[in-house]
Amino acid sequence: MPLPYSISLKNATVNFDGGYAFKNINWSIHPEHHWLICGSNGSGKSALAAILSGTGDIENGIIKNLPPRTGVVSFEAQAELIEAERRKDDADIMDVIAIGTPVSEIIADVCKDQPLADSLCEKFGLTPLLDRAFRKLSTGESRKVMLIRALTCDPQLLILDEPFEGLDVNSLRALQQHLQTISATTTIVMVLNRLDQCPEFITHVAYVDNGELTQQVSRTDTEAWQQLNDLLHLQTADLEVPPTDIDTSLPALDPAAPLVKITDGAIKYDDTIIFDQLNWTINPGRHWQLTGPNGSGKTALLSLITGDHPQCYVNNIHVFGFKRGSGESIWQIKQFIGYVSTALQWEYTVGTSLRNVIISGFYDSIGLYSKYTDNQRNIADLWLEVLGMQSRADETFTSQSYGDQRLLLIARAMVKHPPLLILDEPCLGLDDMNRQRVLALIEIICTRSGSTVLYVNHHAEDKIAGIEHHLALDDFSRQ
Amino acid sequence: MSNNYFNSLSLREQLEQLGKCRFMHLEEFSDGVDALKGKKMVVIGCGAQGLNQGLNLRDSGLDVSYTLREAAITEKRQSWKNATENGFTVGTYEDLIPTADVVLNLTPDKQHTPVVNAVMPLMKKGACLSYSHGFNIVEEGMKIREDITVIMVAPKCPGSEVRAEYVRGFGVPTLIAVHEDNDPQGEGLALAKAYAVGTGGHKAGVLMSSFVAEVKSDLMGEQTILCGMLQTGSLLCFDKMIEEGIDPGYASKLIQYGWETVTEALKYGGVTNMMDRLSNPAKIKAFDLAEEMKTIMRPLYNKHQDDIMTGHFSQTMMADWANDDKQLLGWRADTAETAYEKTPAGDVEISEQEYFDNGILMVAMVKAGVELAFETMTAAGIIADSAYYESLHETPLIANTIARKKLYEMNSTISDTAEYGCYLYNHACVPLLGDFMKNIKTDVIGAGLQLNHTGVDNARLIEVNEAIRSHPVEAIGAELRGYMSDMKKIV
Repeated sequence: MPLPYSISLKNATVNFDGGYAFKNINWSIHPEHHWLICGSNGSGKSALAAILSGTGDIENGIIKNLPPRTGVVSFEAQAELIEAERRKDDADIMDVIAIGTPVSEIIADVCKDQPLADSLCEKFGLTPLLDRAFRKLSTGESRKVMLIRALTCDPQLLILDEPFEGLDVNSLRALQQHLQTISATTTIVMVLNRLDQCPEFITHVAYVDNGELTQQVSRTDTEAWQQLNDLLHLQTADLEVPPTDIDTSLPALDPAAPLVKITDGAIKYDDTIIFDQLNWTINPGRHWQLTGPNGSGKTALLSLITGDHPQCYVNNIHVFGFKRGSGESIWQIKQFIGYVSTALQWEYTVGTSLRNVIISGFYDSIGLYSKYTDNQRNIADLWLEVLGMQSRADETFTSQSYGDQRLLLIARAMVKHPPLLILDEPCLGLDDMNRQRVLALIEIICTRSGSTVLYVNHHAEDKIAGIEHHLALDDFSRQ
Repeated sequence: MSNNYFNSLSLREQLEQLGKCRFMHLEEFSDGVDALKGKKMVVIGCGAQGLNQGLNLRDSGLDVSYTLREAAITEKRQSWKNATENGFTVGTYEDLIPTADVVLNLTPDKQHTPVVNAVMPLMKKGACLSYSHGFNIVEEGMKIREDITVIMVAPKCPGSEVRAEYVRGFGVPTLIAVHEDNDPQGEGLALAKAYAVGTGGHKAGVLMSSFVAEVKSDLMGEQTILCGMLQTGSLLCFDKMIEEGIDPGYASKLIQYGWETVTEALKYGGVTNMMDRLSNPAKIKAFDLAEEMKTIMRPLYNKHQDDIMTGHFSQTMMADWANDDKQLLGWRADTAETAYEKTPAGDVEISEQEYFDNGILMVAMVKAGVELAFETMTAAGIIADSAYYESLHETPLIANTIARKKLYEMNSTISDTAEYGCYLYNHACVPLLGDFMKNIKTDVIGAGLQLNHTGVDNARLIEVNEAIRSHPVEAIGAELRGYMSDMKKIV
């Protein structure tokens, strides 16, 4: 029997054991809709699903119309059942070896449709195990039992948290077929790590971020659906930073020497002083955040380091072992730097392919003007995989969305594993979804590569884990 | 007042110098900037070429400073600001020239004689003097001290682009030459190559030429197709559209941005590609118009080339220099007063394709001008590679300046030499095309062919396509663009 009313949550905040809270939920689940809950690891997906099965204490707001009969499959529910069985065993005061509850009984406990249970057992290959003790089953087998219990209890609402995890191919197919059939009469809410496993009957996605339900996307909104897919790819896939090209590896740097050392730095025009008396040392492995109001000279300071500011020649600057202005070329400096900024994106108006944009990072060029090697091409393709754009490798850069372009430029900056990665307001001009994608990628880089990161941003919420040093430029400006 | 160097050569030497031109391969630049490493380079002049070349050379690890006339320094003129704000050392001729290993003369043509006369006595023995244009040597016959090496490095783009392409990691096509009369230590070529690497030019293609070939082809290109044809075409097309009742705002916009749009197609795929952007009937129409104009204008192109070869042109222009630029300034003022120049571009949407469809005559003018300039130059002994760069290659660059701010912008960007020659061309070409223009209607400029069916005769189309594709400028163009795209993926 289907749900009679929509389940409704209004400004609901729910507390869980251990102080965890899921905050301010506004959500309505229509009986004919089927929801997928997704988000990065630890974002609170399972907590939100659990709230629908009545778990947690409501601290604020209202939750209405939770149905009396709910089928739940989750690791937590599975663990609970196994734990209960174990306790039964411990509680046995008689001096006999407990054999535990057989599978058939565990199922019959909640089953309202024995023929369906029999048929599902057959399809899941559980029939030979019906007499075995539940606690003797493997994780995958006990999962199947959980599924059968949930599906045969005549549920009005099915809550399935990662139901496909660990299932063999035949069982997986049987389950998917069955869910497709019952979706006509039963409301289904499912937690999945990845949108690409999303069954056809799902009509909506709830995106969870840091204990909040932040996005609700209907499948009919194809653009938002795609963006969500891209974001989840970065957040949830087990991504590795691709290797760099051994043939074009950078000259070795003295690990004890600072990457950058600016002594009494200044930028002056005519009679305007952008900043002066600035001293700054960036040591390897120490990530920095640089802040300052508009016009305080953040970008100008960065361009002293990258060599893009002509006054780098009249300053006392040491970068990567070179004293600036001692006969080094700008390309000898740039080879050690990966650089991303909005300005770079504006300048990167080159009608070349996504793959070539990434390869151009090996040459520090805007556009690709050199014959690249097969290895460089392969590395670029690995990066496209990280970004989830491998199928678009040959499309042109300029035809990509703004957010995708930004991600590609970050990959371009990283492709050579630069000792210094400069991110000048990498989230500027991006909408919420794309900002999260960029931050997810940067976080992968910060935690899984050897680059020292110099991050410029004035959005406090765009913090990146692992950046502990801070230079505020307004202290130096002398307007 | 001067001894034309070219005219002092024997016919055999003249032909040899004119025919000097070779496309250099990237491998020839494997020494990088080594020949200039540790040498002191002093740039005279800090305009667009001077500043931007200097920025590139310094970023390539070379020692660059600027020398200006004393007045420019004490009055803190723009050139002084340009140099100091970019962190360069600036000093007077007396301060810096005696220390220089290489002196880069990047002042306008007109100042070359006084500048070179002032710095030559200050230059140290065995130093090098570099030019970006050979006018002073070839047309004015400037004699440089025997111990001094004289080279030319001429990026074939405006200064701003020289810098922008370098920053991208690329460069602009560049012409280099050694003045054979002044290469006492035989190091001229090595220095010129290192200089081209320092500006990034080697990545985009370097043409090894001679002072003579550079001057005679450069003058021809800029006067005729590049600036002359575009100016004449702008004025004629605009007046015709107004006469035929096209909205002035539309007409102004079609021309201002039309040159840029149609020559963009030229840049990517030569005359063939530009013509292929037209429908079949429009292509045949444009072809016929271009053939007709080529017949009418050929004597004018020949006259320009002849006057350049004999030195008549430079003599006339130098007389105007001596007369305080009276002609030049008068002609410049006249251009500002033309109806086209005074009508702002209208706020109308014109799609990229519409510039072709409604600008058939403009396409025909570009085709006629490019082919005529190329044919005339090669007939005069200039090698096809040079002729290609000085005609087809540079047309989109000049068209871009018109898109920015019409003829005013073009005339203020190009050299005074180009501007002077372009007015000469315009004054002759407008009346020359008078009768031709009488038969022009809006179907080829302003409104497009109004056809009910777009069918064409197969045989005629094959004939026209064959004629377009087999022109010699297309063969050399495909080859040179091929070299470029070997190195760069796309512009």
